[in-house]
Amino acid sequence: MSTRQLEKSSSDPAEELVMNPRGIPKVQFVENVDDFMSKASFEATLGKFQETVAKYKFMEFNYMNRKKGLETRIPEIKKTLTVVEFLISMQDSDESIETTFELNDTLWAAAKVKSTKTVYLWLGANVMLEYELQEAKELLETKLSTAQSTLDFVIEDLEFMREQITTMEVNIARVYNWDVKRRRHSKTDQSEEKS
Amino acid sequence: MRMINQDEEVEAEVTWEDQQNINSFSKLNVKFSDIEERYEKKREEHEYLNDLLVDLEQQELLDECELVRYKIGDAFISITLEDAVQRTKEEKELLSEELQKLKNEMDSLTTEMDKLKESLYGKFGKAINLEKD
Repeated sequence: MSTRQLEKSSSDPAEELVMNPRGIPKVQFVENVDDFMSKASFEATLGKFQETVAKYKFMEFNYMNRKKGLETRIPEIKKTLTVVEFLISMQDSDESIETTFELNDTLWAAAKVKSTKTVYLWLGANVMLEYELQEAKELLETKLSTAQSTLDFVIEDLEFMREQITTMEVNIARVYNWDVKRRRHSKTDQSEEKS
Repeated sequence: MRMINQDEEVEAEVTWEDQQNINSFSKLNVKFSDIEERYEKKREEHEYLNDLLVDLEQQELLDECELVRYKIGDAFISITLEDAVQRTKEEKELLSEELQKLKNEMDSLTTEMDKLKESLYGKFGKAINLEKD
């Protein structure tokens, strides 16, 4: 996955704002917990980290829905494309096509369809347009490849987000462990003082 | 990700390289489940097509010019048995190819994940858990 660095000149790695190609920011990895925690309080850091994870999870959820949407749309386009291709294969034949089609749920009707040179494609927004078969095929193929590449990007973004969430979760675990260790030390210090 | 227990604590700092390995592993894990799901669905479809093909070929022996209703898109079209067999075969062939592709992808993911597992377990031991729950 390629990343783009916005501020290459910055010498402090903490201030670099790195993004993936579609502008999703990359989280910061805590290089050294001791150094990092010397600048902020434990509660504030943990809170901030958890908030970041929540944000990414929310975005991840939205993208998952987009992915699901595309994953239903792609087979639909493919299905339409098969029908158009079938009509193309029949367009020069004089015989009519015998078909049984769905009028409504559980209600089917038989029809004879004369071979045709044009079809009507539903474009959405209450618009239907007549296309020559070849044109319809090309349009559907473009739509299919656009949907496919959008899906690829969505998957790539999801993978990127997963990486950010994992980094953040490891950050949280390490800061948490750092605190546990600190408490343990202060306890042993105290008991040493007492004895 | 599991918190480290006191008695099995390993004094190993997580470096950026480790973090990247952990990230890759987590990413590949998700990818694997995704492909596995798709593979399962396609495998099922492939089986159905196989059954269909057997049935159609049996039918073909009985009556060759019989028309069958073959589903294209949302409608059934009456086509000859011969055409139906041809179409089913083509579809099955396509599906077999896709299945093989997915299988290869799954295999290469497993190899990659095993490599990452080895390196991460080697460094963090019990402090890290990379198994599926």
